[in-house]
Amino acid sequence: MDLGTNIRTSRLAAEITVAIVTMLAGVAVIAGALDFGIGWSRSGPEAGAFPFYVGVIIVAASLGNIAHALLKCDRAAAFIDGVQARRIATFFGPMILFVFASVWLGLYVATALYLGIVMRVQGGYRLVTAIAVAIATSAFFYVVLELWFRVPLLKGPLEAAMGLH
Amino acid sequence: MENIASLMHGFGVALTTYHVALMIMGVLLGILVGVLPGLGAPNGVSLLLPLTFTMDPVSAIILLTSMYWGALFGGSTTSILFNIPGEPSSVATTFDGYPLAKSGHATQALTLAFLSAGLGALIGVILITFLSTWVANFALRFSSPEYFAVYFLAFASFVGLGGASPLKTVVSMMLGFAFAAVGMDTISGSLRLTFGINELLGGISFLVAVIGLFGIGELILTMEEGLRFDGLKARVNLRDVFATMRSMPRYWIAILRSAAVGCWMGITPGGPTAASFMSYGLAKRLSKRGKKFGTGEPEGIVAPETADHAAGTSAMLPMLALGIPGSATAAVMLGGLMIWGLNPGPMLFIERKDFVWGLIASMYLGNVVALVLVLATVPVFAAILRIPFTIIGPVIVVVCFIGAYTVASATFDLWLVLAFGVAGYAFKKLDYPIAPMVLAMVLGDKAEDAFRQSMIMSKGTLSIFWSNPLVGTLMTAGLVLLFWPVLTQGIQRVLPARRSHDLLAD
Repeated sequence: MDLGTNIRTSRLAAEITVAIVTMLAGVAVIAGALDFGIGWSRSGPEAGAFPFYVGVIIVAASLGNIAHALLKCDRAAAFIDGVQARRIATFFGPMILFVFASVWLGLYVATALYLGIVMRVQGGYRLVTAIAVAIATSAFFYVVLELWFRVPLLKGPLEAAMGLH
Repeated sequence: MENIASLMHGFGVALTTYHVALMIMGVLLGILVGVLPGLGAPNGVSLLLPLTFTMDPVSAIILLTSMYWGALFGGSTTSILFNIPGEPSSVATTFDGYPLAKSGHATQALTLAFLSAGLGALIGVILITFLSTWVANFALRFSSPEYFAVYFLAFASFVGLGGASPLKTVVSMMLGFAFAAVGMDTISGSLRLTFGINELLGGISFLVAVIGLFGIGELILTMEEGLRFDGLKARVNLRDVFATMRSMPRYWIAILRSAAVGCWMGITPGGPTAASFMSYGLAKRLSKRGKKFGTGEPEGIVAPETADHAAGTSAMLPMLALGIPGSATAAVMLGGLMIWGLNPGPMLFIERKDFVWGLIASMYLGNVVALVLVLATVPVFAAILRIPFTIIGPVIVVVCFIGAYTVASATFDLWLVLAFGVAGYAFKKLDYPIAPMVLAMVLGDKAEDAFRQSMIMSKGTLSIFWSNPLVGTLMTAGLVLLFWPVLTQGIQRVLPARRSHDLLAD
């Protein structure tokens, strides 16, 4: 059961990974900006000019962050340990499934499923309690948003079957 | 006094039953988001904003600002009773607030915090009342180069004075500008940085980004720490409240100093978090009882709370008068103003007097409402925190995603929230500041327009930014702030080694 308790990611690795990701984002911005011209046109600077320089600064500053991490970062410092990683996984995993479910079944059904399953499986609540809280929360959002503020949320097959469009 | 007359007119606008009801609702929602970890003022306001799209702007801003005040107050409650800051800006309150509450003086600690917060806010609003017209009149002389210079100054002060690594601040800020550039270019009409993804044609909403960065990011961080709420008994004893009220004049020096720190940090975009830390540090160094700080010293609660709220309120001054927000929450509200069809900046004071002065008057009222409500509801909100996190956590997640969906009814935004959530978590853990990114996303288009207009005026030379004393001073001040970290390092090297050693040891 102690799967992953010995895993430890160093802060240095995390610093460099994030800096590389931001640098790649900068490269993407530069590439996108070049499509629109970065020079001077009759109506002033071309559309790509401002993003181009933004991208160049991102790349430069990211490189600076990589250098800083390599020179100054405490190599013994940890970014995350196994216990923390598992806590995040048990929280973030269901969250991703919730988004998939929302896209497929609509936000109301996904909300009820997500709350109910997390309460039952992770919280250890009785099935009846979990179902009651899940449905009540979903119904609460429906009343507040659809009926009170008249803001429609994403709906899925269940709402269509119930004629709630 | 023209301002007083305008303010009285503003009270007329703000003091309707409907607006007072909105204030109460906003404050209660604000305390709720302030108390709950993962839901703070910036994303609380972001979540509520889509529901105000159809409201009258005056009512909408009263609702949102009241939520802001409520969140600022609510954050202190958890700091004191649970030793867990509900808001980043109330971290410094935990240092002395929790020890004092733990020693059996919870009511005294809470009352001290709320009263000094209220006083800080009051001083901030008085400052706004008297300075805003003057600043706005001054800003009426601005054209594009001056505007760009002011934006530049605001962003440079993040780099120079923000406290985080300057390079990380630059990365965060520039990513914000890049996100702002996605979608329709307002000048040429071309669709930029969409990389062939249709969903990006409409741009990336700063609201979605804030919900992901602050909401989901913060939640992941909270979960990682394996948060448990072992709160203290929260019963507010009225006799203690009044006893504490009578003791307040004793701390007048700390209050005035902290309010000054707060107002300064709120107007320059240092923000409430930096203000509260700075004020706590100053109080610790200057107070006669400085050595006792950290063990439940009343002054250690008064100082950060006063500065926090003074900064929170005075952040509204540059937002209204210049269109430059002094904090992440103010940035979100500024975005709201633009969505409601208002043009933040000096013209607002001429075209929408009722809006400006209604808002300023509502700040006086809203803070009084918040002060009373927060004291009255301490037991209720403390009870909410005793609900296990396996329920509260997922409910906050659901609220964040539903809030993001209501921004534009776009499924794609749900994925964006996830992505921004991961980014927010990584950035927070590695000390990348997030507020500059939010500010850049809100102001990106305006800053770019100002830059391009200036370039058109000058036919492409940068010398236009030094073409008159005003714009030149702003630009030079911006450059000094931008290179402030390098400059101070240089100064330290020039100073005799012993002296700088003493400074470091301080």
